[in-house]
Amino acid sequence: MAMVNTRKTYARPIAWAIVLVGAVLMLAPFFFTFVLATQPRDRIYQIPPPMWFGTNLMKNIHTLTDMIPYWHNLGMSFYVAVMTTVLALFFCSMAGYAFAMYEFRFKKALFTIVLGSMLLPPFLGLIPTFMLMNFIGWLDQPRALYLPAAAAAFGIFLMRQYISSAVPKELMEAARIDGCGEFRIYWNVVLPLIGPALGTLGLITFISSWNSFLQPLVIMHSPESFTVPVALRSMQSPTNTDWGAVMAGSAIAVLPLLILFALFSRRLIAGLTAGAVKG
Amino acid sequence: MNKVVRLAVMGALLAAAVPALSATPVTLTVASFPDLDRDIKVAIPLYKKIHPEVEIKLVSRERVDHVNAVTTQLASGTGLPDLVGLEIGFVGRFVASGGLEDLSKAPYNVGQYQSQVTGYSWAQAKGPNGDQYAIPVDIGPGTMFYRKDLMDKAGVSEADLNKSWESYLAAGKKVKAATGAYLVASPVDIKDIYIRSNLKNGEGIYFDKSGKVIVAGNPRFENAFKLAKEAQDAGIAGNIKQWTNDWAAGFQHDQIATQPIGAWLNGHLAHWLAPDEGGKWRATNLPQGAYASWGGSFYAIPAKSTHKTEAYEFLKFLTLNREQQLATFKEMDAFPSLKSAQDDPIMSEPLPYLGGQKAREMWREAAKHIPEIPINKNDGVAEDIINDQLDQVVHQNKDIKAALADAQADIERRARR
Amino acid sequence: MESVLSPAASVETRPRKKRIQAWKWAPYLFISPFLIIFCVFGIFPLVFSATLSFAQWDPAAGFGAIKWIHFDNYKFVLTDSWFWKSLGNTVYIAIASGLPQHLVAIPFAAFLSTVIRGRNAVLGAYFMPFITSSVAIALIFSSLFSKDFGAINAILMWLHNVPGIGIIFPDHKIDWLLDTSLVKPTVSFVVFWRYVGWNTVLYLAAMQTIPEDLYEAATLDGAGTFRKFWHITLPMIRPMMFFAVSLTLINNLQLFEEPFILLGDNGGIGQAGMTTAMYMYRTAFYFSDFGTACAISWVMFIVIAVLSYGNHKLFALAGGKEE
Repeated sequence: MAMVNTRKTYARPIAWAIVLVGAVLMLAPFFFTFVLATQPRDRIYQIPPPMWFGTNLMKNIHTLTDMIPYWHNLGMSFYVAVMTTVLALFFCSMAGYAFAMYEFRFKKALFTIVLGSMLLPPFLGLIPTFMLMNFIGWLDQPRALYLPAAAAAFGIFLMRQYISSAVPKELMEAARIDGCGEFRIYWNVVLPLIGPALGTLGLITFISSWNSFLQPLVIMHSPESFTVPVALRSMQSPTNTDWGAVMAGSAIAVLPLLILFALFSRRLIAGLTAGAVKG
Repeated sequence: MNKVVRLAVMGALLAAAVPALSATPVTLTVASFPDLDRDIKVAIPLYKKIHPEVEIKLVSRERVDHVNAVTTQLASGTGLPDLVGLEIGFVGRFVASGGLEDLSKAPYNVGQYQSQVTGYSWAQAKGPNGDQYAIPVDIGPGTMFYRKDLMDKAGVSEADLNKSWESYLAAGKKVKAATGAYLVASPVDIKDIYIRSNLKNGEGIYFDKSGKVIVAGNPRFENAFKLAKEAQDAGIAGNIKQWTNDWAAGFQHDQIATQPIGAWLNGHLAHWLAPDEGGKWRATNLPQGAYASWGGSFYAIPAKSTHKTEAYEFLKFLTLNREQQLATFKEMDAFPSLKSAQDDPIMSEPLPYLGGQKAREMWREAAKHIPEIPINKNDGVAEDIINDQLDQVVHQNKDIKAALADAQADIERRARR
Repeated sequence: MESVLSPAASVETRPRKKRIQAWKWAPYLFISPFLIIFCVFGIFPLVFSATLSFAQWDPAAGFGAIKWIHFDNYKFVLTDSWFWKSLGNTVYIAIASGLPQHLVAIPFAAFLSTVIRGRNAVLGAYFMPFITSSVAIALIFSSLFSKDFGAINAILMWLHNVPGIGIIFPDHKIDWLLDTSLVKPTVSFVVFWRYVGWNTVLYLAAMQTIPEDLYEAATLDGAGTFRKFWHITLPMIRPMMFFAVSLTLINNLQLFEEPFILLGDNGGIGQAGMTTAMYMYRTAFYFSDFGTACAISWVMFIVIAVLSYGNHKLFALAGGKEE
């Protein structure tokens, strides 16, 4: 790209060296997740810990599936995360678009509510949310997890920030003159322009849904409908945890995220929209 | 081995079982946490033999998650399980909350079984008016594990370790000089035993009967802090937290010479903390005739449970059935709370990890001497505050009397709420 | 330079006519999913915690046990040494982990946006801490930071013995997680480690929106790498910067997970790493004092709101326009 500067040829190798050393630091714990998944529990509690793969993976997986209904948990996590992500992409991009591109009454007040709803710590919501879900009969139901998460304030905020810089208002007006309805402008004009933001939001929404455990902890109350983090935690105690099995469960659970990242990161970067933006 | 035992137990139960007539099927939900949930897993097939009409659904969550989930359910009074497993650290809070069924009243009248169960642990689940809200299922008599080989090297005898606190610390200096190992993983360990021993009758650890804070000017705390500080200054106490990798590594690398803790540590040492050090460890009594308890678990029935009668039957099976108590003991080393289970020949078996020592007999004896310590619902807050002050004394040389006065004021301030 | 930036600046000044009816109601329709979900699931918990902040309540005791005590919880919190200590810890860790995140992520994203081959792999590597399970992080960092047996101390000891540079490394083993003066830097490092890649992704996404002809025009004007970064990249990603910094601010001031898994539920020795969120959690579920926990969270709400507002003003000042 344009920022490449041929004068400073020595700068790039140095930058790459720093970046690669950093990458090793970043990857190490991730790598060890898989190493520990293949080790028996008494090896994991040794220091130095094992540095390379062992032979205990199948046994760990066996212990794991013996102790918890792991495949059910995985399925539940997947279902909830997919639903949350699909709905959040739709709801947040619409709302973010409205806040970025329209002028309307109560806009400021409404956006303050959006921001404000990010500011309260989640623990305090446990008891009232449990009561609420019990009241409407949604306990143990996946929708009790994905619907409230689908209108995440931070997603609206992200979309608003991105759309305000990625989508020129001229484009909207041009579309209106062409006779486009408001929803069609959003769907046909705006959405194609905000690929990177959708990729980012999809990724983060899926990951946080996949890793969330406070809501499922109190709302789900059969071992089969636990999500993966709650189920994996239910195998842990300070005094007696089969860490090999827990790590096997963590390693398997991280695989979908890896695949997802591989899929989304292409969208995230390749979505060069310069042509449309230039207008 | 395990299967044989289980079959034998099942057989015994079958023989004793009264044919269940006119039983309507019912599903009991039991909320528990690891490791206690293994108790239920052991019990389910056994209980099925005598109560085939009862289906048992176990919902296990991580220890603190479990407490939070049950707290949430109690708060809103909905979605409650029929039976709740409780660890000693949380039983006081739940007993005080009033959300549990009072088992001392009719139709339960659980008081009739009191004499069958280890006294101090029965008392731990009593409410302020003497009502009984939970029943103990296992106990954790305190003991001191020590490394025989390191003591021999340092020329320290078992009597040096538990004659008095002074001789214990003196032994630690010798061990440190001769082997480089710490006497004890953390100064907190010393404080923890000391404040639990020499209690006056009816006095709690931090609160007296009337709920008054009894920390400032109390020689029990002053001496505990003094000993902890002395151990730290002499370099014989490490700075190692329990249940960390460092702790395990300390055991594996001969860095920790003694560990005062619950008798159940034997199983953990042997299975995964330091499996290669078998035969080198022994157990003995705590210094200066101290008797303390580490851990212990209970079951309780929420007042809003929908199957109280069936839940109570199952609770009695878990806590008062000798076969079930022994089955759990064999499965997970949880010391039985039921006295008749403590008389089983298994208690006289030599323990290979402890060099063939018949330590369980000693622990059974210790359990008889552990004082009844009334539990206050603010014990958790008080413990936090005391540990905070101990850190300042040990690591920042704060004056002990001032630290305890501050602790007293802080506990009073929070406990009043 | 000025001329290439003008298209973005002219957007705001375009006149708008209220001709088409759909303009008026369409935005409300677009935000209605959020509003409906917020009204159903969001308002009740807010009102609940606000109400309970004026009460004394042990949640395990059920609703019968609620006692109204006016402002006592707030008085308690504002005069509570543990609250102030936890707030100090939180602000320390928020700054020590948050500032470097952005100072590293922005240039790093700019660098990555010039890379074509291997970019996704590098970005992926930096993103991994964000998806690594917290269980794995707790296990691995506690063994890395172990005083006597940890890899970090082993490396430092080794470096200390290297002639020449050895002098700048310590000569004794460091107790990373148990020395009260090191707990906060150590936790801050882990937080930085975990989120720097995530911020890089945000900035990289924002940089995709910068039209390439801006850079081309600047190159023709003879601008160097740094000038282009300063005069094109930074202004163009300002909305995303505002978002990313706000998010870091909010999340860091509610920091819970990393200190919790590294130090345990009481925040480590001397509570040196106890954040306000941890203190609040402990008050609610361990000290059974839900009312005080609610009061803490509302005090924190105000603190975060004020700081977010300050952040907003700062960005507005720097940009001469509302974000």
